[in-house]
Amino acid sequence: MKSGSLGSYIARRLLQTIPVILGVVIVNFLLLQLAPGDLATVLAGEAGGAPKEYIDQLRARFGHDQPVYVQLFNYMKNLLFLDLGYSFRQSAPVLELLLKRLGPTLLLMGSTLVVSLGLGILMGLLAALWVRTWKDHVISVVAIIVYATPLFWVGLMLVLVFSIWLDWFPTSGMEDVVAFHEGWARFVDIAHHLVLPTLTLSLFYLALYARLMRASMLEQRGLDYVITARAKGQTERKITTRHVFRNALLPVVTMAGVQTGGLLGGSVVVEAIFAWPGLGQLAYQSLFARDYNLLLGIFFMSAVLVVIVNLIVDVIYVFLDPRIRIG
Amino acid sequence: MNIRIVLALALATTALLSLPAMAQKSGGTLVQITQPEPPNLAPYISTSAPIGQVTAKVFDGLLEYGFDLKPKPSLAESFEVSPDGKSITFKLRKDVKFHDGKPFTSEDVQFTIMEVLKKNHPRGIATFRDVTAVDTPDAHTAIFRLATPAPVILKALSSYESPIVPKHIYGQGDIKTHANANTPIGSGPFKFGEWRRGEFVRLDKNPNYWRAGLPYLDRLVVRFIADASTRTAALEKGEAHVAGLGAVPYNDAKKLAARPNIEVSTKGTEMISPMVELLFNTKQAPFDNPKVRQAISYAADRNFTIENVWFGFGKPAMGIISSNFQPSGLFAPGIDFTVADRIERANKLLDEAGFPRKADGTRFEFTHDITPYGEEWQRFGETIQQNLAQIGVKATLRYEDLPKWLKRTYTDYDFAVTSNFLFNLADPVLGVHRAVHSDRIRPGTVFVNGSRWSSPETDALMDKAAVEPNEAARGKLYAEFVQKVSEASPIAYILEVTYPTVINKQFKNVIDTPLGIYGNFATVHRE
Repeated sequence: MKSGSLGSYIARRLLQTIPVILGVVIVNFLLLQLAPGDLATVLAGEAGGAPKEYIDQLRARFGHDQPVYVQLFNYMKNLLFLDLGYSFRQSAPVLELLLKRLGPTLLLMGSTLVVSLGLGILMGLLAALWVRTWKDHVISVVAIIVYATPLFWVGLMLVLVFSIWLDWFPTSGMEDVVAFHEGWARFVDIAHHLVLPTLTLSLFYLALYARLMRASMLEQRGLDYVITARAKGQTERKITTRHVFRNALLPVVTMAGVQTGGLLGGSVVVEAIFAWPGLGQLAYQSLFARDYNLLLGIFFMSAVLVVIVNLIVDVIYVFLDPRIRIG
Repeated sequence: MNIRIVLALALATTALLSLPAMAQKSGGTLVQITQPEPPNLAPYISTSAPIGQVTAKVFDGLLEYGFDLKPKPSLAESFEVSPDGKSITFKLRKDVKFHDGKPFTSEDVQFTIMEVLKKNHPRGIATFRDVTAVDTPDAHTAIFRLATPAPVILKALSSYESPIVPKHIYGQGDIKTHANANTPIGSGPFKFGEWRRGEFVRLDKNPNYWRAGLPYLDRLVVRFIADASTRTAALEKGEAHVAGLGAVPYNDAKKLAARPNIEVSTKGTEMISPMVELLFNTKQAPFDNPKVRQAISYAADRNFTIENVWFGFGKPAMGIISSNFQPSGLFAPGIDFTVADRIERANKLLDEAGFPRKADGTRFEFTHDITPYGEEWQRFGETIQQNLAQIGVKATLRYEDLPKWLKRTYTDYDFAVTSNFLFNLADPVLGVHRAVHSDRIRPGTVFVNGSRWSSPETDALMDKAAVEPNEAARGKLYAEFVQKVSEASPIAYILEVTYPTVINKQFKNVIDTPLGIYGNFATVHRE
């Protein structure tokens, strides 16, 4: 595979995503119109009541006094210039708000991907190697229990055990707001705060990947090319690491790509429990405030994230399995 | 890290020993939890509850208040009301500087009242309606000129209610989308430091604060934690030190109170006076009948609700005006709905109203909307549902999200009965009139007269009380008013919530105003 063709493939894929993202934006915009109540009443409600003139004034400022199609047209027009609008509730441009939250979200998503994929693949691999022994059963049972446990419960229990009882980790937040560390100490502090949220979010996906990996390994082991390899006189170890493992990874990687959307959703819960300042919490707040500019911005950003991750997954395929060609 | 903590402790102990025993110790960081995160830090255009918890520390008001709701000097050293009540002269402090170093003058007062609060503040529009001008004969005198006497103004000048903003900053550009909306500049004990969205706001000590030697704290960090259990855990562990106004669930507050390092105070709501109530749609049968409304009010078991839903953080409401106004003489009780034979009375009223029990023992049924403010409201709805079953009335509960509920209650009036949470605030003119005055029946405006009940007599009493400068005379007007409202019962007043404030015992003097956590924390210090 030449690098030139990879580059043009990526460019073409990115171009194809534009209509997808535009579609997502339009559908979201129209869906949000269906929710009763609007930002002006929420703002007035938060303010503990306000005169009618104040509310009308707000609506005119938000452009909510215009027909829906005009609002949609204006939104799309601005989007072309990457202008995601202004959040009147938060008194700040949407893009600025999103970019500030993107870092923590990517950090949590990244660490969760690494932990859940790494441990999940390892557990699946071991279970497959020890298939139908007590070790395999232990891994499978643990995976099922973890998979079936609600995220918020896991999160709260981890806080109770590791934060309150054992005092190993802080309960919440991204860094110590009394000390305000700098430099290396800050890095360590953030990593320290990252442990519990990552663990909570990882457990669910870890179980998923472990089960998938185990099944995939077992399936691959029974295929013809393994018999061929064995006939060639290759060692079992080599067959497992070079052939079976690599092929077994494909479905797991596919699943990881598909799950990024879900990961964003799951992070809403985890971010709320651990007061992690990511996009999930922002989405949750803005939905209940009917802050549509901000919410549309978040949807847009999430759509872009999911598209990019899936593109990365497709590129990873090529490296894992030379039979898969791009184009 | 541990070595550093030990060192810090050692240093702190040494410092403590070398200080005179009575002196307040300076320094330290107080971590406050505020829920939810404020949308912005612009208290001059929004009265959203979490905003004030942060900005009351950054801005000053002309006055502050004692627990008796009597004014105390702040930016204004003194004030004088003219005999006809139509002008108020404020003498301002001369040594006040804003956080950017510019001096505070009467120009700032004029600008804040006339250009900012009177035009944009959701409550200021009503409070300062009768202020026709603010004269500034010199840099340190501000005279409010009023069309009619308005005693409410003197109750509404705290840093929370009417923050004084610097004209040279907020006078530039559009006040509604001002560049400093999220980076406030005031004259208060703490300067705005940083706001990391989703995490915290950091406020730093204002070294040039006009109250010499204050504030004691070096830093104030306001954290935002969306999950209630995590908020409790952070307080329990000492990662956060103060939380109030519903940030900690009532049952958790009770649990935390048992811990040796934590104190739970119910002071600091005297000027907020939250009321839990049931709002009737008086334009719709069967609740267009005052007898039915009274019957429901009798049936509601106030003491059970307080003990089991609000975990003891409340007292039975005795009418439309909160008992917190007792010290200022504006309080008077209405009909006592907590009498021992209240169920019999309720049954009798419903019989009289023409709703006899049918064969299955019920009289009528309706849908009860629930204020979407959290779990306790759901439980409150269930309690009322059971109370009403006793008198043969069947309630079906409906729970929606806030925007939908606001629209249903205050725009579409598409409800029969809804629970509601309305604050009496600093004065009945601010918090009480809006609920029953005929000029506050305004579709689309939230937290006003949602029952759409009014009467010419009560309107007249309120109009008189609003312009009556004499407190005792006002009290008499309100006593008559409360009685009339409770006879009509467009709203069943259930309880006055006394919000628990959870405080880490390391810190002293946290709640020292009737505004509680809306105070400025200048005198908070470590033990």
